Amino acid sequence: MSNIAGTKSSLTWAVHLSLAALVLLWLFPTVGLLVSSFRTSDQIASTGWWKAMVPSEQNLTLRTGGADDQIQKDGNFVIEGNLFGEPGDAVISVWGTSSRAISDYKAGETAELKKGTSVTVQGNGDYVMQSPEEISGKRGQRIFATAKTPPEFTLKNYKYVLFDPSNREGMAKAFFNTLTVTIPATIIPILVAAFAAYALAWMDFPGRALLIAAVVGLLVVPLQLALIPLLKLHNEIGIGKGYLGAWLAHTGFGLPLAIYLLRNYMVGLPRDIIENAKVDGATDFQIFTKIILPLSFPALASFAIFQFLWTWNDLLVALVFLIDSTGDTTVMTKQIVELLGTRGGNWEILATSAFVSIAVPLGVFFAMQKYLVRGLLAGSVK
Amino acid sequence: MKPTIKSAVATGLALAMLAAGSASAADLKFAPGEGDFNWDSYEALKEMKLDGEQITVFGPWLGPDQVLVESVLAYFAEATGADVKYTGSDSFEQQIMIDAEAGSAPNVAVFPQPGLASDMAKRGFLTALGDDTAAWLTDNYAAGQSWVDLATFQDDKGEEGLFGFFFKVDVKSLVWYSPENFEDAGYEVPESMEELKALTDQIVADGETPWCIGLGSGGATGWPATDWVEDMMLRTQPADVYDQWVSNEIPFNDERVIGAVEEFGYFARNDDYVAGGAGAVSSTDFRDSPKGLFSSPPQCYLHRQASFIPAFFPEDTVVGEDADFFYFPAYAEKDLGKPVLGAGTMFGVTKESKGAMALIEFLKSPIAHEVWMAQEGFLTPFNGVNTELYASDALRGMGDILLNATTFRFDGSDLMPGGVGAGSFWTGMVDYAGGKDATEVTTDIQNSWDALK
Repeated sequence: MSNIAGTKSSLTWAVHLSLAALVLLWLFPTVGLLVSSFRTSDQIASTGWWKAMVPSEQNLTLRTGGADDQIQKDGNFVIEGNLFGEPGDAVISVWGTSSRAISDYKAGETAELKKGTSVTVQGNGDYVMQSPEEISGKRGQRIFATAKTPPEFTLKNYKYVLFDPSNREGMAKAFFNTLTVTIPATIIPILVAAFAAYALAWMDFPGRALLIAAVVGLLVVPLQLALIPLLKLHNEIGIGKGYLGAWLAHTGFGLPLAIYLLRNYMVGLPRDIIENAKVDGATDFQIFTKIILPLSFPALASFAIFQFLWTWNDLLVALVFLIDSTGDTTVMTKQIVELLGTRGGNWEILATSAFVSIAVPLGVFFAMQKYLVRGLLAGSVK
Repeated sequence: MKPTIKSAVATGLALAMLAAGSASAADLKFAPGEGDFNWDSYEALKEMKLDGEQITVFGPWLGPDQVLVESVLAYFAEATGADVKYTGSDSFEQQIMIDAEAGSAPNVAVFPQPGLASDMAKRGFLTALGDDTAAWLTDNYAAGQSWVDLATFQDDKGEEGLFGFFFKVDVKSLVWYSPENFEDAGYEVPESMEELKALTDQIVADGETPWCIGLGSGGATGWPATDWVEDMMLRTQPADVYDQWVSNEIPFNDERVIGAVEEFGYFARNDDYVAGGAGAVSSTDFRDSPKGLFSSPPQCYLHRQASFIPAFFPEDTVVGEDADFFYFPAYAEKDLGKPVLGAGTMFGVTKESKGAMALIEFLKSPIAHEVWMAQEGFLTPFNGVNTELYASDALRGMGDILLNATTFRFDGSDLMPGGVGAGSFWTGMVDYAGGKDATEVTTDIQNSWDALK
């Protein structure tokens, strides 16, 4: 038997391999998003992100200088310059001057155009256009080049999301608004749920089992059902749309899971300790604060992470209960959706915003991750 | 001692307000008094004293569009002293319903389509704008009566009234192309549908692909095809048949409608005509499909889409030079004139206040239109504006198409019930583009319409 405790399974390598494969599979979309956040919208539209890492052959449409750039040289009118602006790492292999024939000439060859005009394009993008007559036309000649271009990444998207004057203020405001929603919306349900969980776990009163069943039942009620009635209630009792309403909504929607998780954890604590404390004359409140709370720390922390992530990423509850038509109380998720534009085409901004908004939850997760697993297992495995 | 502190605070406040005031004056896009704008209408706004009154506006515009609408509202705020707040949402349709139901609606809502406004009016959530406004629209908008009719709904008591003010119009009957690619290939801009079909065949004969068509749009996939069918309807049938179709007086599976659907199929279901083949039509995103016009070598030469599409052209594309448009032509042999399909956004009052009504009055002043015209992406049927102010020849060209139209019809899918116009019509067209029979598709759509009655 290979699975006896203390002996190593001969299949360890298989476990490790499949684990690595699963991790890669999970990370795959995130990596794509990360790569996309460093690309321009044109790049995203033309090639997949997996092609962004290696030099690629691309068909480019470039343009020579216009009539304003011409100089007279040896009786000819000449426009000189580089198609890429300045010589870069891109290497042109073939090129053409018509959209119907984009690969008629090799780098270094000369193409004859109308009226005795000729144009020569070098591999690095340098070009010379010559004409015996004055060149007219404000816009230059189109050059269709097939070039091998090195990978190109840009920080433009991050600059736009974080530092652009039109966003900066909105983003900063949304960040602090989100914290204003998230922190109380995490603490309040934990406070309430801890008391409730203790009562449901260790205090004897009639109907306790039914009450637990009801809480579990509430877990399956979709919160969307309550949106309009709850908002109506808030308007009637004078809360309206605002932070208080959002905290209450998040608390209400978070409580069933919180109570369920914490109760299951607390029930698993050793009965002896609690009975000993009772014999020594401790009140329920003392038992709760002195014994249960410190022992339940992993469960509390794991729920805190859950609730924090959920409220941080929430858009629906914020839209319904918080963001009124003055727009002063916007949150990160809403701000990000707005960056997408009226018709939602700005994918590069979406990818970038996702990484900006991921930063805080990632920090919270890594700071508290050891409790997450402990807290989750503690409730289920006895 | 006390009075001095008070007065110091008061002076401080006054100074702060002055500073705030001058800051917002500097925010006006065009300085009052300069340029060919109708500044008299701006000065007239100062009659409305709304100091400190807050007016909330909620609409579908985000990003650059939001900056534009805010630049227009700034003039109203500056002239009247009102505090105007605009917020946008990409889920406007859902959110305005939630807010109205729960009683926390904004003062003014900007509806992207009349269907939703009609629903809200029927449930009593909108305030009628009155006969004065209706009369003003009839007199001052090109084809004024039709704009009034489009925004006239029944309220919760069954009384008819004007509930919306159209502001900002889009022209849909446009075909986009790259003039330089046309020049390289020696193609001419077609003047009639026959010529357009001949050009399509010529491009195929030259070994190229003529059209880029993309129907993908997330949850709204299929809507670009509804525009095609509506345009084809106007080009194969008289306008009154179009109206009967939109109001379901003739069934959706009428042979005339099927004919229009098949006209769309003529282009979209031919593998040789569409970039990527007919199979790619419904899976290509409408935002990505125009990019084929500008690729090297060009994936296609023609793209039929509304006036907003340049926003999705590659960066640095100059409309009028790199890209241009022509009127989606009508059949020369059918004597149906020059029909134009369009759409527009509509302001409605969702929570009545003095300020909200004043904002609607503001929309009647030429300056409200001119400020947006002089920037980008705005067309207006208001004939009291200075059309010289259009920011580009392209916009003026679209404006001309609007003014030269012998028939103007509003986007039919926006006028049909939501379940059809924003539901089965969309999905039906995706099915049709995927190869399903036109009769079958239109019968399905008619059945879904019957189910809503």
